[in-house]
Amino acid sequence: MSKELIRLKDVTMTFDGETVLKDINIYFNDKEFLTLLGPSGCGKTTMLRIIGGFQTPTSGDVLFDGVRINDVPPHLRQVNTVFQKYALFPHLNVYDNVAFGLRIPRETEGPDGKKQKVKLPKDEIDQRVREMLEVVSLKGFEHRSIASLSGGQQQRVAIARALVNRPKVLLLDEPLGALDMRLRKDMQQELKRIQQQMGITFINVTHDQEEALAMSDTVVVMNEGVIQQIGTPEDIYNEPKNAFVADFIGESNIVDGIMRADGVVEIFNRRFACLDGGFEKDEPVDVVIRPEDVDIVSEAEGQLRGVVTSVTFKGVHYDTIVDFYGFKWLIETTDYCPVDSRIGIKIDPDGIHVMKKSKYSGMFGDYSSYSEEYDEINDPTLIDDDEAEGTADEE
Amino acid sequence: MKKNGFGGRSLIGLCFLFLYLPIFLLIFFSFNAGESSAVWRGFSLRWYGELFQNRLVIESLATTLLVSLLATAIATVAGTFAAIGIYSLTKKWRDPILVVNDIPMMNADIVTGVSLCLFFVAFFNGWGGIARWLNSWQSLIEFPTRMTLGLTTLIIAHVSFDIPYVILNVSPRLRQMDKNLVDAAQDLGCTWMQAFFKVILPEIKPGIVSGALIAFTMSVDDFVISYFTAGSATQTLAMTIYGMTKKRVTPVVNAVSTLMFLAVLIVLIINNLRSAKQEKLNAKRASFEPVRENPRVERFKAWLTTPRGKLTKRLTALCTCVVFVGTVVFLTAFTTSRPVVNVCSWGEYIDEDLIDEFEAETGIRVNYQTTDSNETLYSLLKSGGADYDVVVPSDYMISQLIEEGMLEELDYSQIPNFEKIDPRFRNLPYDPENKYTVPYTWGTVGIIYNSTMVDGEITSWSSLYDEANAGQVLLIGNSRDAFGIALKYLGYSVNTTNEDEIRAAYELVADANERGIFQGKVMDEVFQAMEGGNAAIATYYAGDYLSMLENNEDLKFVVPDEGSNWFVDAMCVLKEAPNYDNAMKWINFIASTDANLRNMDFIWYASPNSEALEKYPAWYEEQYGEELDPEIYEIMAAPQEVLDRCEMYTVLPRATRTLYNNLWIQLGI
Repeated sequence: MSKELIRLKDVTMTFDGETVLKDINIYFNDKEFLTLLGPSGCGKTTMLRIIGGFQTPTSGDVLFDGVRINDVPPHLRQVNTVFQKYALFPHLNVYDNVAFGLRIPRETEGPDGKKQKVKLPKDEIDQRVREMLEVVSLKGFEHRSIASLSGGQQQRVAIARALVNRPKVLLLDEPLGALDMRLRKDMQQELKRIQQQMGITFINVTHDQEEALAMSDTVVVMNEGVIQQIGTPEDIYNEPKNAFVADFIGESNIVDGIMRADGVVEIFNRRFACLDGGFEKDEPVDVVIRPEDVDIVSEAEGQLRGVVTSVTFKGVHYDTIVDFYGFKWLIETTDYCPVDSRIGIKIDPDGIHVMKKSKYSGMFGDYSSYSEEYDEINDPTLIDDDEAEGTADEE
Repeated sequence: MKKNGFGGRSLIGLCFLFLYLPIFLLIFFSFNAGESSAVWRGFSLRWYGELFQNRLVIESLATTLLVSLLATAIATVAGTFAAIGIYSLTKKWRDPILVVNDIPMMNADIVTGVSLCLFFVAFFNGWGGIARWLNSWQSLIEFPTRMTLGLTTLIIAHVSFDIPYVILNVSPRLRQMDKNLVDAAQDLGCTWMQAFFKVILPEIKPGIVSGALIAFTMSVDDFVISYFTAGSATQTLAMTIYGMTKKRVTPVVNAVSTLMFLAVLIVLIINNLRSAKQEKLNAKRASFEPVRENPRVERFKAWLTTPRGKLTKRLTALCTCVVFVGTVVFLTAFTTSRPVVNVCSWGEYIDEDLIDEFEAETGIRVNYQTTDSNETLYSLLKSGGADYDVVVPSDYMISQLIEEGMLEELDYSQIPNFEKIDPRFRNLPYDPENKYTVPYTWGTVGIIYNSTMVDGEITSWSSLYDEANAGQVLLIGNSRDAFGIALKYLGYSVNTTNEDEIRAAYELVADANERGIFQGKVMDEVFQAMEGGNAAIATYYAGDYLSMLENNEDLKFVVPDEGSNWFVDAMCVLKEAPNYDNAMKWINFIASTDANLRNMDFIWYASPNSEALEKYPAWYEEQYGEELDPEIYEIMAAPQEVLDRCEMYTVLPRATRTLYNNLWIQLGI
């Protein structure tokens, strides 16, 4: 990851008195695949539109290569966008859609310093369009009408249409949202491949954490117009900064704890060894324990003892809900424990992640209502949108 | 769902029958060989043939097309931009504006028409002063000081009522459009204007086209608003058809209506097919479901992107533009270029070949309009909406117009044919020094009756009020004639100003009305009623009786013993007539012996030209190879002893006119 390309400085955006982005400070590196991740309404799309030039921030600066571009209209920015639902031009065929941007005369400074409109020669347009169609595996679709394409093909056209202009940055607004599950998986690979092939910056917006983790070099987790955490997918997953991030990325049990000393955290009045330190003595903290980091042992061996309240077979493992003193945990285990059996658990020190208390403490991480949530997550018609809205509602 | 029972289905059938039967009948009888709209005499295209020789129809068709095309073009552009403007407003403003947009469409046409008419007239009144002032301090452009209703106002009116339809059709397309399309175009390097032409316009094109089609049908179809804004010299097809139905309805009306119906039907079908197809496409697009396109269409679209295809596409667009502009230019030339004379007369009151001949001879285009009574003509002139040169009012109305200074003196040096007017018809009381008029026709008012429906011969006005004819009598539809006849019957003068006498006449008519003797009051509808045997007795003009006789041999005519009214209709020129010299030429042409002979033959009204009057029987024999029935000639040109029994109307004092009006309204038939 080389040099910095775009920077947002103290960017705030308000619509009708409602603050959508609050004092955003962030930079984007060249040739980076970056994902803005967050529930709907978190401000991620607004941020993308500010970079694209469709919205001007209420305050703060947008810098491109160090130059302030707040007032540069979209058609003069070296940025292209793949829109939500693609926004392909329905009256043009595949070829003309892709060639659209190349056919617009560009204003450039001539050798004498005067501004002049330059039109690309036809051969060059043709060559670039065909190349790009090959990149997105749509060779032979040139004369097809947009309406005759499947969702995945339309997605590819949208990418080609944006990339053919050789932008420095490609913005993708929920690019996979309209595709079905399987196609989405394929396209994730495809997008990553294209990004590496083109060697430019991709800024992707999504509310799908799995997609974010799978594709990105850097993930930016946002909520309520504020950046919660910036980091590599591994960082975000293993070292969430607060309860919101921990809950939004993957499954987590979040319980109250007290930091007794560096490397010692007390949960349910029992001390556990952990790897975290740097807290004050006896500081109340949030403790994240990922479901896969819990080992089920016999009741006698367990550091904690509880009762199994529900078991769901998931193929590789069982989703087991265990009641510990009234607080329900999700445990992913390959051992089958029948409902109502009493079990013990063990957690290795590296399975425990301690976070500072935040405004999100106590809002997430309890699986008391797990069964309903589980159904919702697995209902294909409710996928994403509902999940995102549900999360947003909770806040 | 419950299946439709037989009852439900037959009800639907009845509804459709009720809706479409009249139209089918109209179409069916347009192919009738006979003149009737009720009796089938075999198939023929005769009326379509006549239609295309009918100059009035052709001219008004040209006007209609010109107005509709121009108004549609202007309204489509204006409406599209308006729709885009409305679309980009916030919801708070957009919704109220769309409601405001709906109001003109829901508003009664008559209100729109009258208000536009008043607006134009008010503007013209103010304009005179402005133009004079403008002309006084600059001489670069000479602004006309006098403007009247005409083609321009008609087009403005049509544009104004077409725009809401365009907005109504374009707005939904804009709302359906993916909001991101404009962003996408800008993202790819377009300025807003480029995005408009490259993306918005193609996206909303279906809405624009259907808006334009609907605006065009509305324009072609419109009668009421046109009626109020066209002025006197311009007439649309709908107005012409309306004028035709005031007279005896010949299947020409059916023919022209059939063609209009078909034209509108085709436009509607095209529009509906288009929107159905578009709907399907939209549904597919919204669900991201691939649309399987007809391979032939697919191939055609691919061909369109080849250089040759592109050239063809551009040429087609160019040709369309050229054809449109050409049509508009041609129609404009057709409707406005030549010198004109605007004539307002009565319906079926001229041999229309004479108009063609005059036009061929002089190159002057005749704008021939009609109204149905002196009173209507008077109010038209008074309202300021009319722009005639020549009018043909009756005697008493002429005195009134002279009295009110509404007529221009004629230049008799340009009307040598005036010499041939019989001295009996010169210097009559309405124009004692004969400075304003050249007589057109003269005749008597009498009783027309159906001899098979009435016992014996009628010789007295009493039959109009006789219980024996209850429900069979048609009262003449204007106050002057209706009360005049009653006055005559009571032995008073038709020109009396004595209120008691007039009230006595009113009582007579009102009493007969209460006893149910009158079937109704009619003017030109009398033709239909008497020819069809729907009424037994009517009072009307001798010349019109002879026209009816051609279609029903049982009809008889009598000027009753008590005496009657005899009248002269004369050509006059209005003050400030815009085409004075052309008007002189027209009057001279119509006053010629040849024109009088042919008019007499065509409309059966007697000519005031002594040569023509004298020659007519011989001329008739020459034309038709048979002798003219002397009885008919006598009815047409009443002999002196009949005229002696009759009185000519003179203009009544204002108080008496008011009395007539009030009593007429009070009668309320």
